[in-house]
Amino acid sequence: MEEILDNPYLQPIIATLLIVAVFPLVAGYMVLAERKVLADLQVRLGPMRVGPYGFLQPLADAFKLMLKEDIIPAASDKWIFWGAPVLSTFTALTAFAVIPFSDKFYVADVNIGILFILAMSSLGILGLILGGWSSNSKYSLLGALRSAAQMVSYEVPLGFTTVTALMVAETLSMQGIVQSQLDKGVWIAFSNYGLMLVPAVVFIIAAVAETNRAPFDLPEAESEIVAGFHTEYSGFRWALFFLAEYASIFVICGIAVTVFFGGWLRPFANVGFLETPLNVAFPILLFVVIGAGCALGAVRVTLAYEKAIMGVLALAMFLVAGLFAIPMINELIIGFFWFLFKVLIFIYVFIWVRGTFPRFRYDQLMQVGWKYLIPISMGGLIVNGIVLLFTS
Amino acid sequence: MKELLKAVFLVDLIKGLAVTFRNQKPSLIYTEQYPKERPLVAERYRGAPRLNVHPDTDETLCIACNLCALACPEQLIVVGAERNKETRRKELTTFTYDVSRCMFCGLCEDACPVDALELTQDFELASYTREGAIWDRQMLEEGPLPTEYKH
Amino acid sequence: MATSTTFLDTNELVLNMGPQHPSTHGVLRVILKLDGEKVMGADCVIGYLHRGVEKIAENRTYQQFAPYVDRMDYVAAVSNGLGYCLAVETLGGIEVPERAQCVRVILTELNRIASHLLWLGTHALDIGAMTPVFYCFREREEVLKIFEKYCGARLTTHAFRIGGLQYETYDTFEKDCHAFCDWFEKKVDEYEELLTTNRIWVGRTKGVGILDAEACKTYGVTGPVLRAAGVEWDLRKAQPYCGYEKYDFDIPTCANGDTYDRYIVRMQEFRQSVRIIRQAVDSLPEGPIKGRVSKVFKPPIGEAYESIEAPKGELGYYVVSDGSTQPYRLRVRPPSFVNLQALDEMCRGCLVADVVAIIGTIDIVLGEVDR
Ligand code: SF4
Ligand code: SF4
Repeated sequence: MEEILDNPYLQPIIATLLIVAVFPLVAGYMVLAERKVLADLQVRLGPMRVGPYGFLQPLADAFKLMLKEDIIPAASDKWIFWGAPVLSTFTALTAFAVIPFSDKFYVADVNIGILFILAMSSLGILGLILGGWSSNSKYSLLGALRSAAQMVSYEVPLGFTTVTALMVAETLSMQGIVQSQLDKGVWIAFSNYGLMLVPAVVFIIAAVAETNRAPFDLPEAESEIVAGFHTEYSGFRWALFFLAEYASIFVICGIAVTVFFGGWLRPFANVGFLETPLNVAFPILLFVVIGAGCALGAVRVTLAYEKAIMGVLALAMFLVAGLFAIPMINELIIGFFWFLFKVLIFIYVFIWVRGTFPRFRYDQLMQVGWKYLIPISMGGLIVNGIVLLFTS
Repeated sequence: MKELLKAVFLVDLIKGLAVTFRNQKPSLIYTEQYPKERPLVAERYRGAPRLNVHPDTDETLCIACNLCALACPEQLIVVGAERNKETRRKELTTFTYDVSRCMFCGLCEDACPVDALELTQDFELASYTREGAIWDRQMLEEGPLPTEYKH
Repeated sequence: MATSTTFLDTNELVLNMGPQHPSTHGVLRVILKLDGEKVMGADCVIGYLHRGVEKIAENRTYQQFAPYVDRMDYVAAVSNGLGYCLAVETLGGIEVPERAQCVRVILTELNRIASHLLWLGTHALDIGAMTPVFYCFREREEVLKIFEKYCGARLTTHAFRIGGLQYETYDTFEKDCHAFCDWFEKKVDEYEELLTTNRIWVGRTKGVGILDAEACKTYGVTGPVLRAAGVEWDLRKAQPYCGYEKYDFDIPTCANGDTYDRYIVRMQEFRQSVRIIRQAVDSLPEGPIKGRVSKVFKPPIGEAYESIEAPKGELGYYVVSDGSTQPYRLRVRPPSFVNLQALDEMCRGCLVADVVAIIGTIDIVLGEVDR
């Protein structure tokens, strides 16, 4: 027993299994959240029919996708068609390996963590290109070509801004980056006399483009090229692409949070007197409010099983709130809480942006990338470098 | 200069974001949850047809004049009548109305001299078969029964 | 079309857009010749929604045919009905009472708003902004509710009859119209905030699908597309019908004739329509609502052409009578059909993404194109 517990691989294996097992469900609920938030922006209700307030919709969707007929176009390149979604999902999930969910929960703390993530996310494009190319459809091909061009051009500003942040952090390890922000007492986005805000904003814009999200969702612009690279995919294969997309959204938000916004640190991590209000009172309040919302929902819905689900949810929320009140457990989960909290804020912003803006055209997309984002990110790198040189 | 500053700070984009953000207020939600909540259609709504009967005697109001059948552009109404030997009056025997072809234009309703034929507020006309959409006199007199949804 | 003379032309990719494509607004099929993503030519294939409306007219009495015209441009059914009724009334020499005319103006202007709202929503959706469509449908719903309360139908209204109206206005008609106008004006401001200055929107629409005044006249293009090219031509002013001369309104025009200008013109038309509705509601006269039309309506032998400014352009009806109860021949001049001809000219040299923007900006309804 002792031996097993001391095994250095134990924690990574558990974490990996947890991520792989839980993430599909998380992705499903991310979709639900997206649909609900979008609906809210658009004066609609969103899914309401499966479970209370559409709460079971992701499960229904998952079942539907798995039960669907698996169609492989006759003229497609079968093996590549088969492998493309696997490749996409694989790379997207691998990137989770180095994300520091908290100071205690992570798979690995590699000393080149950020490089690993960038490499993995660029590899993910390969899946899209192969998928688009092998389906032997013109719309898919156009979508694949678009995504290739788009990702190549947006990786550059993404890289430049990350490098700028790394200069400030002076390390490539993801845990190290967070640690350095703790030592400096300020999130990287606000360091360097506020100059780092520019790379931070550029990073977020490039991140939206990198994940193929609106307004940069050209590879799957449904009004132009139907569904882009996954036009010919259906059922479970399509679900894999979907999973990959949401995984990469999560990952890229995770990077943004870690590199620019303090990772699992709470806001004002060095101000001692905020410890109790932010680390104890805030999460408790948050979960109590959510729990109260669920309880109210339980009163509103009519069916017994819906009432039960909402009631259990409310209880769970109160329980989590209670957990935060126990100092020992609080210490364990508070980092995780802040990391997720920030990531969710980013995801919300992604959805909000999606709900508001029209889509760029292909040439405009290139223009934004090459004419604005790359020069700005390069400028940011140089200016921040000079400032760093003189202040250190 | 002001324009430039506005462009640099993405004022136009932020304005748009503000609009969608404002519209998030839960009170602005416009969705009607249809089977759960029934929409209240207007009084003049032209929906399912009904052949009115006298409220007291349960006798049909229709005088079998065939005007509705003549007015209908789709010619989907068939009025069957028989002349009553004693009263020398035409009496309605059958009445069929093909809802599947009807475009609810209201011309038949307008043509009816005694307000026997009427388009009502009911709008659920679905049927599992084509024949089910051809309504006979009995169905027209009873009127369609609105479906009750449990949840 | 690309004039490549090489034996093996490897540059051109033929892409079939539609008839089942999310943004060809129904069943339009466009055969695109592409060089990469650049469009070298666009051929329209139409007729998937052909129902032979003009032929049906020859087998229906004049009154019976009225509901069918609603089914051509089904988002502007009231305008269609008005055009048809005007043509038949001219043919039969029927006087329409003042009150009926006024109500007709109110309803057609409301319908113009509804039609433009549908255009705005779908156009924005084509360009990738997914939110305006829901806001637009919300506002359109309010218009449809007024229609429903007035005549009992929401989309294919059959609101007008030959000689005037069938239904008297309902009790709160005036109040509803005013409330809608007040509310709607604020909503137009909201759309403008969302789109007019948005740099992505401007970038996607400015300079896209230019059709100048000369080309518009050559193709016979009318409506907002023509006005965006700088031609001040609006049948409501040029040859007023239904007493439009009594109302005070402007014809919005722009200069460049691109997609952005068409957007601006239509946004202005929202405001002008609101102006007209307000005036008409305030000046609604008392009186009868239907002129003298016999039940068996037989117009004298002859022919008549009447055109109105429908939301999409000039909508004309040409009716020939042989003295019987049924038209001898009926011909429609549908604005969508005529405007669609200019698609090839507008598309050439632009990108695939622009094609959907251009199809959207012409504002076609396939029911009317194919009839
Ligand atoms: S509503 Fe119109 S189509 Fe339907 S039966 Fe009456 S006249 Fe015929
Ligand atoms: S017009 Fe009225 S009275 Fe005459 S046959 Fe039809 S329903 Fe009966």
